Amino acid sequence: MITFTKYKILLGVSIMKKTKIMSIMLTLAIGVSIFTGCGSTSSGSSSSANQKVTITLLNSKSEIETQLEDEAKAFTKVNPNITIQVMPVGSGTTFQKLSSMYAAGNAPTIQMNDPGDVAKFKDKYIDLSSQKWVNDADDGALDVTKIGGKMIGFPVCTEGYGLIYNKAVLDKAVGGSFDPTTIQTRSDLEGLFKKIQATGVDALDISPLDWSLGNHFLPISYSDQSNKFNDVATFIKNLQVGSVNLASNVPFNGLMDTFDMMKNYNHEKKDPMAGTYDNAAQYVSKGTVGTWFMGDWAWPDLQKAGATGQFGFLPLPISNNASDYGNTQIPVGVTKFMSIDGSQNSKAQQAAAEKFLSWMVYSKTGQDYMVNKESMIPPFKNITIAPQNPLAKSIQDYVKAGKTLEFMTVLPSDHYAVLGADMQKYLAGKENRATLVTDIQNYWKTVK
Amino acid sequence: MNNEKSFISKLKSYLIFAGPATFAFLVVMIVPCIYGLYLTFTNWDGISATHAFVGFANYVTAFKDKDFITSFVFTVKYAFFAVILTNVIAFLLAYVVTSGIKGQNFFRAGFFTPNLIGGVLLGLIWQFLFNDLIVYIGTNFKIPILSQSWLSDPTKAFWALVIIAVWQGIGYQMIIYVAGFMNVPKDVLEAASIDGASGFQKMKSVILPLMIPSFTVTGFLTIKGAFMAYDTNLALTAGGPYNSTEMISMHIYNKAFLSQQYGTGQAEAFVLFAIVSILTFTQVYISKKLEVEA
Repeated sequence: MITFTKYKILLGVSIMKKTKIMSIMLTLAIGVSIFTGCGSTSSGSSSSANQKVTITLLNSKSEIETQLEDEAKAFTKVNPNITIQVMPVGSGTTFQKLSSMYAAGNAPTIQMNDPGDVAKFKDKYIDLSSQKWVNDADDGALDVTKIGGKMIGFPVCTEGYGLIYNKAVLDKAVGGSFDPTTIQTRSDLEGLFKKIQATGVDALDISPLDWSLGNHFLPISYSDQSNKFNDVATFIKNLQVGSVNLASNVPFNGLMDTFDMMKNYNHEKKDPMAGTYDNAAQYVSKGTVGTWFMGDWAWPDLQKAGATGQFGFLPLPISNNASDYGNTQIPVGVTKFMSIDGSQNSKAQQAAAEKFLSWMVYSKTGQDYMVNKESMIPPFKNITIAPQNPLAKSIQDYVKAGKTLEFMTVLPSDHYAVLGADMQKYLAGKENRATLVTDIQNYWKTVK
Repeated sequence: MNNEKSFISKLKSYLIFAGPATFAFLVVMIVPCIYGLYLTFTNWDGISATHAFVGFANYVTAFKDKDFITSFVFTVKYAFFAVILTNVIAFLLAYVVTSGIKGQNFFRAGFFTPNLIGGVLLGLIWQFLFNDLIVYIGTNFKIPILSQSWLSDPTKAFWALVIIAVWQGIGYQMIIYVAGFMNVPKDVLEAASIDGASGFQKMKSVILPLMIPSFTVTGFLTIKGAFMAYDTNLALTAGGPYNSTEMISMHIYNKAFLSQQYGTGQAEAFVLFAIVSILTFTQVYISKKLEVEA
């Protein structure tokens, strides 16, 4: 009996020993696994020429996300050592996303920014002035990105905006083939709206989006001040100092008078704030409305909504005098720049990124993607493929005729949020012109 | 020597069990908080490599910012209605669901499900409901108050936010109240019935005082949740129409990341933190004072 108990005790002790060893090993395993997540999150690999390199691209043009991913795969087919991970910005602004990625230590290799944000990262972006495509870029396209002695931006697309029109609807309204050059004054535009309404279709859809009203519509009043780039820049500086009296400013009031007229023909008149971007794209595609204030980036959305037939742009006249500046021009400019980060990406990754940018400009596949699949107007003189999308064609017509305004791309980061909200109030009738003027003037005084 | 030994051994066992969690908590929450407090006294803009000390300048800007006050008042209004409505409805539901009706477990699970839907998804679903579905019903059945989207009018958008906060919150608070109801000792209730107390008197004098610990918890959770609301605010209205439904968290986030005034934004965040801490501490303190033993 004693032997049996001793045996049980011995067995118990050995089992205890085993479980003790087991539990120590398990604790160690779990403890180590906690730290696996702490590894470096930078997406780099080695620097040898034949080694695989992975780079990341932050895409802030959500309408081309899928096409850009396909383009990245196409690039890897011809350059098997380079993999590109395309990521969208998601919610929030590009600047917010990039600030948090830099803080987290995993800044993307290629970053697509709005022109106004490029300067903020000037210490982190590498100089691209020795790249081949610099000489092939459109004149003036790179001016905004020449900062601190470096040239840090690759122009992605030229864009423009105005009143998108559905030609089928307008042909029916004018009883023939509609010619956009016939719209040269506000009364021409109003006459056209009346004719569209007479066919039983609403003339126009104004989307109550703060970025559309604040950063696209309102700045037309800035670029209408003068056809000289420097004069417009001086106007903005004067706004910041507070020496501009918008209440007596002719182009501003002209634009707002046109806006007042547009409000009467707005499809969303009963509840101006309820309109959405997607609904408006559907309306203009299907011919439920004749025109939509938006830009050529909306073409993929119009296609998705089933657009058939011809589309084009109308200008927003600000007076009844046909020869006034701004009556027959639409804003056109480079709206996105890609830059390469040099502070958190290895030299191999930077080289791979430069290769990709060059490939986009010089290879047939890259050009095809840029012009045809992503429906962008390339800001490069060497790309001669004609765009398929009618909105881009319309913009190129305006550019060829020299009928363009400055697309105000460098505005303060919260311009769209603050003044967009005020424009929404003006659209919904919640504030009058005098209050709007005060709000705009006060906002600019707070901009450093 | 006995004391010393047991302190060290207590420390050892604390470190073995709670060490990793404490370390993670310190590194992820406490250290950034203190660093953030330090940053409120500098003029860092989020990405440059250097910054300079500026004293209380950011706090002065924060208090001068009239949108901060507006958002704060708006959030207080929202919190007032959200907290009261959530707790009253949750309490009533908990009472119903513990009174022995058929299928009460099914109801408990059912009422809890809205709480499982994440904030952003919740906002998007209700956005569709308010913008499209309810407007469709309103125009078809000629109900004027429903014919225009509630989200395009500031006052109605406020009530839309309150509605989804209540809808999401009642499930969670109901569970806490159910636990509270179950914990009321049955013998005290029986004694009260024998003494001739009516249902209402029982509720007032027996159940409510014994449930004060539940009120402590639910009060704290709903007040904190209402003041810190951001995801549903963003998904449902994004501060619209025209910034009229911008709650304080959204205002702070926009000030820091959109207007890129990090110093002011962080200073405002600390002011909010101080206010909510004082509020919740006061609430918990008063509740604890009111607690009674059975």
